[in-house]
Amino acid sequence: MTALACLVLAGCSKDETPVDTTYPVIDLAFQGASPQQCGTFSRGQKISFKARFSDNVALGSYSVDVHHNFDHHSHSTEVSDCALAPVKVPVKPYLLIRNFPIAGNPAAYEAVTEFDIPADADPGDYHFLIRLTDREGWQTLKGISIKIN
Amino acid sequence: MLLLWALSLHCFAQIQVSGQVSDEDGAPLAGVDVTAGNVKTRTDQAGRFSFIAPGKDRREVVLSKRGFQTYRQILAAADAPLYLRIILLPAERQLQEVQVLGDRDARLREQPLSVRAVDATFIRRNLGGSMMKTLERLPGVKTIGIGSGQSKPLIRGLGFNRVVVVDKGVKHEGQQWGADHGLEIDQFAAGRIEIVKGPASFLYGSDAIGGTIRIEPPAAPAADGLAGTFTGLAKSNNQLIGGSLQTALRHDKWFADGRFSYQDYGDYRVPATQVNVYNYPVALHRHQLRNTAGKERAVHLTAGYLDSTFRSVFFLSNTWNKSGFFANAHGLEPRRVDAAMHDARSHDILLPAQQVNHFKLLNRSSWQTGNQLFEAELGFQRNFRQEHSDYVNHGYMPAIYPRELAIPSDLERQFDKQVYSLNFRNTLAFERHRLTIGINTERQLNSIGGWSFLVPAFRQFSAGAFAVDNYQITGQLLLQTALRYDHVNFRSFGYSDWFATPVGSESLNLQRAAALGRKFNSLTWSAGLSYSPMPFFARLNVGRSFRVPIAKELAANGVNYHYFSYERGNSQLDPEQSYQADAGLGWKNSVWDITLSPYLNYFSNYIYLNPTADHDYSYGAGNQVFAYTQSRVLRYGLELELSRKIGGGRSIEVLGEYLHARQLSGSKKGFSLPFSPPPSVLFSLTQEFNNGNWLRDAFVSADYRLTAAQNNIVPPERKTPGSAVADLRAGATILAGKQPIGLNLQFRNVFDTKYFMHTSFYRLIDLPEMGRDVVLSISIPFHHQHKKNP
Repeated sequence: MTALACLVLAGCSKDETPVDTTYPVIDLAFQGASPQQCGTFSRGQKISFKARFSDNVALGSYSVDVHHNFDHHSHSTEVSDCALAPVKVPVKPYLLIRNFPIAGNPAAYEAVTEFDIPADADPGDYHFLIRLTDREGWQTLKGISIKIN
Repeated sequence: MLLLWALSLHCFAQIQVSGQVSDEDGAPLAGVDVTAGNVKTRTDQAGRFSFIAPGKDRREVVLSKRGFQTYRQILAAADAPLYLRIILLPAERQLQEVQVLGDRDARLREQPLSVRAVDATFIRRNLGGSMMKTLERLPGVKTIGIGSGQSKPLIRGLGFNRVVVVDKGVKHEGQQWGADHGLEIDQFAAGRIEIVKGPASFLYGSDAIGGTIRIEPPAAPAADGLAGTFTGLAKSNNQLIGGSLQTALRHDKWFADGRFSYQDYGDYRVPATQVNVYNYPVALHRHQLRNTAGKERAVHLTAGYLDSTFRSVFFLSNTWNKSGFFANAHGLEPRRVDAAMHDARSHDILLPAQQVNHFKLLNRSSWQTGNQLFEAELGFQRNFRQEHSDYVNHGYMPAIYPRELAIPSDLERQFDKQVYSLNFRNTLAFERHRLTIGINTERQLNSIGGWSFLVPAFRQFSAGAFAVDNYQITGQLLLQTALRYDHVNFRSFGYSDWFATPVGSESLNLQRAAALGRKFNSLTWSAGLSYSPMPFFARLNVGRSFRVPIAKELAANGVNYHYFSYERGNSQLDPEQSYQADAGLGWKNSVWDITLSPYLNYFSNYIYLNPTADHDYSYGAGNQVFAYTQSRVLRYGLELELSRKIGGGRSIEVLGEYLHARQLSGSKKGFSLPFSPPPSVLFSLTQEFNNGNWLRDAFVSADYRLTAAQNNIVPPERKTPGSAVADLRAGATILAGKQPIGLNLQFRNVFDTKYFMHTSFYRLIDLPEMGRDVVLSISIPFHHQHKKNP
């Protein structure tokens, strides 16, 4: 009993270094950020991606996922939804999955890149999903509704 | 007593026999008739008795009290005074393991392990939507649940495959690893439940590293004739209607028992109009969680033979349940949530939904001969689980579900588990020892189905041999030592995607799992001491336990769309090792009942699903990588149970728990473990009544539970604010003529408080716990007994 009590007390009194419990932040609300909610892009051209990421300690990696929303799944993190085209069956929907490590694990990072949209992709409503982790494994998601003409 | 002394004067070679009698919860039993030959006495208020046994008579002592099973013991020839410690079991427990060897499983308080038992009365008074919800009032016991119907045990912060559920002596095997899976146990069919808090690997092998829940069936009828009970249950929050009808027939040494149970419930309601499913705002229709309705059915048939030395009982049961998943929170992309369709009716189960069928055929036999007891359990069970959802092309799955695929397009996952179990034990009583040696074996066949992949098919054989010795050093001091060796042979099968993923310039059907074979061996031990000079008692147990990594930990390789996680197994994991010190201190008399249970637990390699900083393209479809790793973990905690009778039928109760867990190594060093319950304390006040006439065992009781905030979190958890929730309960047995009717009423969450539970599956989506809920249960026993010949 005494031994147990000592161990328990020792466990309590030992200084515990505070751990990081803060989620990283995705910022698309600055001049030039893209895509924006209900933004429109064209087939055969590019989607430009420009976002600012920040964390209280160190960022980890991000991934970008573009997939069709022809079935109107509710997926937006934005309160205002865009006017959706009628539900339709996909034929050759545009699908993009890319993941990017953030080199050097900085606390702030601006992601700038572009993605090609094939000329023969189905036009319509799409979701643009951004996933961002910090070094500790906390993840923040942002879902944007876009249209491809 | 005078008579005894008088007798003693006339007899030759007398010895003094004294002792103490208690019930199985350790409360002293007064007024027990103690007979030895023609000597008769009764226990006093402290349950004590003492007499001088006439030497030449057959020294058999018989203890009897109304409402309890009669206890007989042949006294060993001895010259020294004898001290007996006897526990009487309730008469209703006929299926209890043979008692002739003494106090086999009943010395709960005197066990070195922390064991808590609840009976049918507790279950009736606290009946929740599932068995685990019912047990949640006990300190150290929590649940991981997805709402009303499905919940699984969490003992001292450990759950999933770290808690073993033993049903009628056989390990219950389902898909324990899934947070959204239930237990598939019919709570109406439980007669008594024992909870071992802390590891008991030496009895049940792998998995019993965090705790054990033992479920015993209700008693066979004690007397010849027909008897039964109807139990009804209604809940207001999710409009649950349930019931169970049980009938048993006994003729001499044979009996048969049948039970049918059902529950139907609608979508459950929370005190919120909107929840955030990972940042996605979801509006709730009339506070209802879209598509969380469900239904359950269970059939049990039991038949057996009971005599004083041999018992053999067959149990056949089938439980089935189907319930919806909260439509907005199923998977990464809450697609096809047709709010109008889902909100039209609250009682329909639409997609996504889960359906589980659990079939069991068990035999449990025991044979007592001389000072030996042989026990065996033989069982087959099949757990068949299907998760249905409209096809959603996650990642690189084709946009349109291919017609040629043999898998139904709405079958997301399927798990089919078939388990054969064989247990054998031999208990030998000699001198002051009770030695049990035994084996447990189990063979599992697991297959999978559905268009989504998480865990491969696998087979597993496990066998363990153990020896447990209970050495009664004195009447008050017991030493328990145990040693066990286990061998597990695991073999999983390969799996490749049915769809192609572009990798570089190619398109490949990715192989997600390669065939894998692993063998694990483990030696575990336990040593415990209990000292119980009533009313004080103390116990201390130290031990080593283990757990073999499960298929998901070894070989997962797919996206769990519930958590936005790409889960990656690690085929090199070692068996988890845990060292635990567990203590108990208590005081129990007719007024006070106090138990303090501290524990300390160290894992040298806790297997942990670690959310990493990475995303994976090919296997993970862009999702965050969650990788199984091992880390050193220290856990300690404390439970307090205090009750005091304050006169006039009133009593107060304080139940508290505290747990701290910390990872000592690995990439999450300094972090807690997931699903760690925050400290909580429950205050309860009870008033009991009895008019001695038509109203019996009546009570009114108020519970107030204070739960602290949980800020010790680990990805992907969220900090959970503290809460204060009040419950009211009342119940009575009412005599309508000669017919007793048991009524119980509960007002759960009386003030409709919006609060969160850290261990809830839906905590991650900011979903509050159930709002106000009125639960009514009614129980009507009936019996028809043959007239006995005089």
